[in-house]
Amino acid sequence: MTTCSAAEAHYHLLILLTNKGVVSLMKMTKIYEGTHEWIMYGRDEHKPQNIIDTNQYIVRTPNRCLILEPGGIELFAPMLAAVLHHAPVEEITDLFASHQDPDIISSLGLWDQALPKAKLHAPAIWEGFLRHFGCETIEYVPIPDNGGTIRLETVELQIIPAHYLHSSANFHIYDPKAKILMSGDVGAALEQPGAPVFVDNFEAHVEKMRYFHQRWMPSNQAKRNWIERVRELDIDILAPQHGRMFKGEDVRRFLDWFEGLQVGIAV
Amino acid sequence: MKRSHTKSQFVAVASIAAELSAVMDVAKEISLAAANAKAIAFRAGEKAKGFQPITDFINELAKDTIQLVNAINEHALSLYQLTVDEYRMTEANERFEFAAHLAKGAKYESSLYPVHQQVQQRMQICLSQFNVHIAQLLDQLAEVMHPARAARVIAANSRIEASQAGEYLQSLQAVAESVDNAAQVIHDNVQRCRSALSFINFVD
Repeated sequence: MTTCSAAEAHYHLLILLTNKGVVSLMKMTKIYEGTHEWIMYGRDEHKPQNIIDTNQYIVRTPNRCLILEPGGIELFAPMLAAVLHHAPVEEITDLFASHQDPDIISSLGLWDQALPKAKLHAPAIWEGFLRHFGCETIEYVPIPDNGGTIRLETVELQIIPAHYLHSSANFHIYDPKAKILMSGDVGAALEQPGAPVFVDNFEAHVEKMRYFHQRWMPSNQAKRNWIERVRELDIDILAPQHGRMFKGEDVRRFLDWFEGLQVGIAV
Repeated sequence: MKRSHTKSQFVAVASIAAELSAVMDVAKEISLAAANAKAIAFRAGEKAKGFQPITDFINELAKDTIQLVNAINEHALSLYQLTVDEYRMTEANERFEFAAHLAKGAKYESSLYPVHQQVQQRMQICLSQFNVHIAQLLDQLAEVMHPARAARVIAANSRIEASQAGEYLQSLQAVAESVDNAAQVIHDNVQRCRSALSFINFVD
């Protein structure tokens, strides 16, 4: 496996025959390698066609593993199988859900069966709602409105408030060492299956994300607040939950574009 | 257990809850009828002397039924929780099987085995607990039929006693009628509960 620094290192992690004899592929990209690793999973070919494609991320330290945005129920098996290439089940110690949407965390009830000692870091005000997915053995760690940190061995991740983008209680994860911001639905784009994992032409990419941001993001005030906060961070990769990631100059381009975009267009 | 069985369990358990709620309403009606009958018998004095102990008995029957239905309701509630648990376990087991299949060749493939085994064990435990609860619930439902049957006998006796009550005949006959109807409703509802349970046919 190579890192993203060697251009877009896409890996077809699983090339297996399913019960039906259909070849199944799941794409994986290592986006940071240092004292710890960041790996992005996505473009799941098992995914039923009528559900939205999602990106999942893990942060792997020597003995622990955090899954960011574990995904929907349909994604559980391919995601778990993919993570097993990088971490044994007992070392998956933490889950993070930026907000309460089903494509983010409806798999919770299944992870609850797999990871009895794990912690779920998720917005405090969504606790009573998220528990509907099943959370009996996993410990729910409520994130207060002002955010906080998640510590994985020597790695400290910052929980950045992103309220109303789009959910009323919403957080992103920033890793100051890897300089990666996992930005949930911010930066998301609706892509064709099999699209590359990084933006390679920002101008062409804009149209794939314009409507998503205008319609799903409700508040210009919340948007400005988030941009102000995020401009202070040193970011190499902006990693959304749908579509392609942004790296280098495209991160700044995205922030500029988003700043000028009117959102909340449905009213 | 097949997924379709789990789905029919949800329907069966929900049906039982609905039927039991109706039984409870009827039992409360019987209790009210007993209080009404007692007042009439009191006013009728000597003419309804034979009716007075019957009203107490009707009241006792209503109380017994309410108590039993409360106990069954609690049982049905835990059965519902078991159905939810069992559904989750079955679902989890299927997903874990798929994950195990996809993870073939993964570096940490073997770490999934114990987890998958635990899910299978939990699913089996849920299933056997479910069977035990179903058997207990059927027993309780059979038990609730006893006061319903007794109520019908009392209704027949009430009619005889009512015929001695002169001008109170019609009022007391109405009480007897109401007890008889209520007992019939309870009987029918409980039968429906039992047939709803019979839809749950386990296949390991």
